[in-house]
Amino acid sequence: MQHIWGKGVLLHSSNLQTLFRIKRQMRKKRWITVTFVDKDGDEKIIKVPIGMSMLEAAHKNDVELEGACEGSLACSTCHVIVMDDDYYEKLPEPIDEENDMLDLAFGLTETSRLGCQVIAKPELDGIRLALPAATRNFAVDGHVPKPH
Amino acid sequence: MRTHQVLKGFSHIWKVRSCGFSARPQSSSPWQPVPVAAALYSQTPQHYVRWQSTAAAAEAIAPEEADQNPNPDNQGITMKGVSMAGRPLYLDMQATSPVDPRVLDAMLPYYMHQFGNPHSRTHLYGWESDRAVEKAREQIAELIGADPKEIIFTSGATESNNISLKGVMHFYKEKKRHAITTQTEHKCVLDSCRHLQQEGFEVTYLPVKKDGLVDLDQLKAAIRPDTGIVSVMTVNNEIGVIQPIAEIGEICRKHRVFLHTDAAQAVGKIPINVDEMKVDLMSLSGHKIYGPKGIGALYMRRRPRVRVEPQMSGGGQERGIRSGTVPAPLAVGMGAACEIALSEMSNDEKYIKSLQERLYKGIMSQLDGVEVNGSVEHRYAGNLNLSFAYVEGESLLMGLKEVAVSSGSACTSASLEPSYVLRALGVEEDMAHTSIRFGIGRFTTEAEIDKAIELTVDQVQKLRKMSPLWEMVQEGIDLKSIQWSQH
Repeated sequence: MQHIWGKGVLLHSSNLQTLFRIKRQMRKKRWITVTFVDKDGDEKIIKVPIGMSMLEAAHKNDVELEGACEGSLACSTCHVIVMDDDYYEKLPEPIDEENDMLDLAFGLTETSRLGCQVIAKPELDGIRLALPAATRNFAVDGHVPKPH
Repeated sequence: MRTHQVLKGFSHIWKVRSCGFSARPQSSSPWQPVPVAAALYSQTPQHYVRWQSTAAAAEAIAPEEADQNPNPDNQGITMKGVSMAGRPLYLDMQATSPVDPRVLDAMLPYYMHQFGNPHSRTHLYGWESDRAVEKAREQIAELIGADPKEIIFTSGATESNNISLKGVMHFYKEKKRHAITTQTEHKCVLDSCRHLQQEGFEVTYLPVKKDGLVDLDQLKAAIRPDTGIVSVMTVNNEIGVIQPIAEIGEICRKHRVFLHTDAAQAVGKIPINVDEMKVDLMSLSGHKIYGPKGIGALYMRRRPRVRVEPQMSGGGQERGIRSGTVPAPLAVGMGAACEIALSEMSNDEKYIKSLQERLYKGIMSQLDGVEVNGSVEHRYAGNLNLSFAYVEGESLLMGLKEVAVSSGSACTSASLEPSYVLRALGVEEDMAHTSIRFGIGRFTTEAEIDKAIELTVDQVQKLRKMSPLWEMVQEGIDLKSIQWSQH
């Protein structure tokens, strides 16, 4: 049994090559930095693990992003605006269903995406996402539905 | 049920009308349908009243007269100080068209007992109306070669044009500041462009050639990196000219500019395919294709996606682009009109072309000094715009009161200026004033055309006899060489 330390964890395996491969993988960045800017201009910088959607990350970090359909491409409430064009280019093209839902979004822009469809990957490190002023579930009395 | 009895009693009358254009009632025929209201509230129809389709027309014959005089045909009609032998022959199909009886048949149930709101998700009334609206969407999509998801119902082609121009330019306003259109567009397109100019956008109004077609080289030269949209109508409502939309679409695709076309006069009359024409947005109108008034549609391409800023805010109906309850009976009517147009297009084309030739030959053989405005080859057959030289326009129209035609287009006939479309063609002002637009449609008969020829030729000859200019031309004097004296 071989042992090796990797990121504060003791790894053990009979195969030394596997151990070094795992240590290399652990050294690669497993999360990216994302900045959410709300409608008043206040910024919140969060760490999002690779593979997690922006909607899920926002909920985990108490960012006010409503996700009425819980990420099933049936609403437009997790609408976010990518603030920089070059980050928008790095995202894959939205599928027709996402585009259909985006058509209904409030305050749609050329660089809008649905937060539940933007999955974190290493190229998106440093991305800034603006939250629109309101969603289709508009409540003029200021009521904010709790994330569910 | 009483409603069914009434509708059954009603439908046999519609059957007479439904056998196509040969059953078009002449103004002297005794055919008079039962008004719906009277039939509904009485067990048996009380009496046959000459039912006119407008309240204004109903004023022309007072009800008491109709009761006392069983044959009101002898009366003639007097309205606005003009008296005529009967209702005029309708030759103004570009202004509007009569509703095809088959379309009315399709619409009536959605007014009478299937009257639900298509957006009511919780009960049968809503579901059946929604199903009917979706079927209408498919029928419209099939006519233009689109996907049903790309069709949005609006209140008419004017609203569709507004959404296309203002919506696209507002959405892409950060990067695209320039729009291109032509000088012969419909007023709603030109007014939307003027509105955009007020907001700070730049608009290029392309001139047209003498035959009314857009010059493709001028269009290529006008496109800039910040051009957002090009808007060229498919068939012109005043002169009937068909623009080369497929070539324009090719140019716009190359430069990655959206192409919008106002196809209100073209849909259902000439074959249209949005993929072949490379069109991104298209406006359609219901009442130009024998459908109901008050409904239109907007085609918006999904791949590559076109985005617009909605002009109507509300509950997000019609994909958020046009909020508001979709009028199910009108939508059903427009869908039925489109389906009928698709199946009858080739037949209509042949028939209307033969009538147009009859009209053209009839007038040209008896008069000279008549010019056709707009290209003769690239023309929709149902629109014939003629200018009569040495005749005063207003007096010609007054003389033609038994033929319903128009001079200029319906939307500009109230103003005294001659048509801007004819001015763009380079037609001289005096010829522009005497232009008459004959509109031929599915329900026009040969007898109507012959009568129209007779009346027009008669009136033109009468006016020319009175015209001093005509006298001078007959004597061989060149009018352009005359020095008119100032008083």
